[in-house]
Amino acid sequence: MVSHRSRDKTLVFALIFSMLAAGCSSSASSRYFGKTVAPKDNVLRYVSGSEPESLDPQVPDGQPEARIYLALYEGLVDYDPKTLQPIPALATSWEIAPGVDEYLFHLRSTGKFSDGQPITAKDFVYSMRRGFAPETLSRTANLGYPIMYSEAFNGGQVFVKKGDTFLLKKDLGGTETKAASIGPETEFHKFIRSPERVALDGDEKKRAKQIAADPKLQAAAEGAEFVPVKAEDIGVEAIDDYTLRISLRQSAPYFLGLLAHQFFRVVPQQTIEKFGKAWTRKENIVTNGPFRIKEIRPYDALIVERDPNYWDAANVHLDGIQFYPMEEQSTAMNLYKAGSIDAFLNHFVPSSWIEQMRGFKDEYMNFPEASTAYYSINTTKPPFDNVKVRRAFVQAVDQVALSNFRKVTKPLTVIAPTGIFPDYDKAREKVKAELGGKTLSFDAEQARKTLTEAGYPVQKNGSTYSCPTFPTDTISLSYNTSESNRQIAEFIQAQWRANLGITVPLKNMEFKTFLPTRHELQYVGFAQTLWSGDYVDPNTFLGLFYGKDNNGDTGLIDPKFDKMMDDANSELDPQKRYEMLARAEYYMLDQAVVVPLTINATNWMKKPYVKGMYPNPGTLMPWKFVYIEQDPGKWDTDVDDIMAGHDPQVEKQLADIVSTQRTPTGSN
Amino acid sequence: MALLVVTLTWGLVRLAPGSFYSAEKKLPAAVEANIKKKYGLDKPWYQQYGIMMGNILRGDFGDSLRYTGQSVNEIIWRHLPYSATIGILAYLLALIVGIAAGTFAALKQNSGFDYGSMSAALLGLSVPNFVLGPILVLIFSFWLYWFPPARWGGVASLVLPVVTLAAIYAAYIARLARAGMLEVLRSDYIRTARAKGLSETQVLWRHAIRGGLIPVISFTGPALAALLAGTAVFERVFAIPGLGSIFIQSVLNRDEPLILGIVAFLSILIMIFNLIVDISYGLLDPRIRYE
Repeated sequence: MVSHRSRDKTLVFALIFSMLAAGCSSSASSRYFGKTVAPKDNVLRYVSGSEPESLDPQVPDGQPEARIYLALYEGLVDYDPKTLQPIPALATSWEIAPGVDEYLFHLRSTGKFSDGQPITAKDFVYSMRRGFAPETLSRTANLGYPIMYSEAFNGGQVFVKKGDTFLLKKDLGGTETKAASIGPETEFHKFIRSPERVALDGDEKKRAKQIAADPKLQAAAEGAEFVPVKAEDIGVEAIDDYTLRISLRQSAPYFLGLLAHQFFRVVPQQTIEKFGKAWTRKENIVTNGPFRIKEIRPYDALIVERDPNYWDAANVHLDGIQFYPMEEQSTAMNLYKAGSIDAFLNHFVPSSWIEQMRGFKDEYMNFPEASTAYYSINTTKPPFDNVKVRRAFVQAVDQVALSNFRKVTKPLTVIAPTGIFPDYDKAREKVKAELGGKTLSFDAEQARKTLTEAGYPVQKNGSTYSCPTFPTDTISLSYNTSESNRQIAEFIQAQWRANLGITVPLKNMEFKTFLPTRHELQYVGFAQTLWSGDYVDPNTFLGLFYGKDNNGDTGLIDPKFDKMMDDANSELDPQKRYEMLARAEYYMLDQAVVVPLTINATNWMKKPYVKGMYPNPGTLMPWKFVYIEQDPGKWDTDVDDIMAGHDPQVEKQLADIVSTQRTPTGSN
Repeated sequence: MALLVVTLTWGLVRLAPGSFYSAEKKLPAAVEANIKKKYGLDKPWYQQYGIMMGNILRGDFGDSLRYTGQSVNEIIWRHLPYSATIGILAYLLALIVGIAAGTFAALKQNSGFDYGSMSAALLGLSVPNFVLGPILVLIFSFWLYWFPPARWGGVASLVLPVVTLAAIYAAYIARLARAGMLEVLRSDYIRTARAKGLSETQVLWRHAIRGGLIPVISFTGPALAALLAGTAVFERVFAIPGLGSIFIQSVLNRDEPLILGIVAFLSILIMIFNLIVDISYGLLDPRIRYE
């Protein structure tokens, strides 16, 4: 008996104790979520997502890696912490040719690698040649394809040479317009600005097919010799140690913004040549960003420290950053609550926590991102080869209702997200007004009419509809398995059932199984796509449907759209260009190759003492602006206003950096 | 045997759609062709199989496809210690708690302790560790602030993962030990031992426990192999950089060499532990002799 009673006592004691503890903790920290104490050692602890594939900035294509590279590597330009617009980095200033097809960069002479070696224009030439080299296996090299002959070099293509002359595009009937150049004339420059050469497939069999398909080419290639495109042929030139010229094959007004991407950041030639693929190991690695590697513990922590060799080391505020790779969202939330981390990556608040987290006004941020979700429609398979059928399904979706239901997203009713490119939004409004506001948008009544016109009559049965002739059993809506994707799919399924009387079967698949289904157009009907912009220009979204080998996964090839895009991108006046792009966008929207769904939002948290870190369109942080504020009086409050708010320290630092850029010639 | 396992795994990986480089954004055809060429994915499957087997027979699993510049052997040996540390600690904890509880329950059959501990064991068996883990985190990290909720680092960080992992094994071992002991305590040779006039303690420690624990031993051999190799879901919940979470990730990444390496390693590990178990039967129970 005695032993029983004492056991009961212990139990009761334990219960009371734990209840007390629970009471204390929740009342003590109502303003902030969990333990909120600025770390004394000035080292930021950040959950970075999946384990980084490699520390080589030119190879992987993931976002977790991108954020780590921002700490370790620098390029010609960097991102503005709020807008992601390009700001001077290793280039202090630049000039742009009137045709926006050539850029001249003036480099700072104080740039150094982490081993103390100076960074010169030659290092940029090396880095870009290496990035495009087929054996580097870069998965982001295609971003650089506007650079002259880079695509040909990357694809192992060959020039066609007869005697001493090369076959040119204009020989086959292409047109060539090259505006004025910029910078001094050199031997290389003469070559790169001469009429563009024809480049054919490097593989003999494929080339033979290519030649056989085009009689003009066949005649021209008769008895010709094929010369491989070399690294030295791409349009990147070191004019002197601190002047770099990049020549493009056509005008690309968005190119400058693209140069902040990791692919264009400098890599160390000596180290790579000496160690080969082992160059990114702790004992070998040489970097050039604000931080350098201190410790690599795969799947546990990647620790970086301020690099005293960095040209702007005096303005790097943190002593170091600890990147924690992690897959489980709830684990990251636990660490955040326990005060063991200071911030985590975007989209990492689990759906079930969002409602509660919204209450933490000084920490939770949900800002629109340059990232969209939509359903691609396979236009190659019936019934969706009929544009009217596609339009009916697009018109039957109410995106506003979807976003109200989803809570963390904003409605997407066009192709490029709204709220990310302010000037483009204005241009789009103007074009929409020109079109009389008659653009493809939610209209259930019209959707039923369109579907009926397409040959699938929609019948009204009381308050519901049905469409008995529609081949529902042959189509499906595919998505990769995840809680939020399922919610969206069920919501849209319900809308189609209510508005068209069609119940589209849902099909979910594991991510890597789903991808080839979509990329290779094996699906019939709809497949979910999530697209994140690579740079801050609408072209990164509209370009999805551009060209023959486009990334839209819809099977559509539309020469009219391609022409509209080419014309827009060779327009030098930014405002006019935006209007032309907007026309192309509404044209493509009307082709109804996608069902627009949502603009994704950051769904992100950081502790209030972490400053200089913003929910910008990519949640990409230029880490040298980030600092830890010890004085609670200066902590971030009400982060809904964080983008409009002012931080004198960040603003001064930014102004000092931007001041080196002269007024640019040309546009932008 | 291990080679058969590797072959089957290779076949399954090959049947699964998607590849290590497939991502939301489709790669340009030229880039994809470069990758295929580099990794020999453009060769016929039987050639690829031959090359893979040849390498494995030499003990070389090659480099991870995803983590460029890191060899599979290096990754396995780097992450094994994390899983093994937690695994061995959990194993010892499970053995001590399980055997003690099981033996006492058997000695005091149908007592309050017997019912109490066996109910607790049933509960331990029924609650999966990914449920138990968060409950322990809630209590000990957020209510009591005793231990960190996740990540590797320091003794304090080991407590919750070890207890979580040990719980289900302790429960199982307790039930096995109780059943084994009950059977042995009723057997003829124990009666003989008692008849010789040995004290109850001597009967227990010198005779009963050796026979009574045979079921426990045959269970714990493979269990130790599994514990050493890490438990996938559990390691992810506690953000422990062990082999288990690497294994899960390698499958999601379609990182073929890494998948094959870990599978081969695990199958060898399990075979070794089964062998040890078979040998230990003979040492524990004089009735079992290998000729």
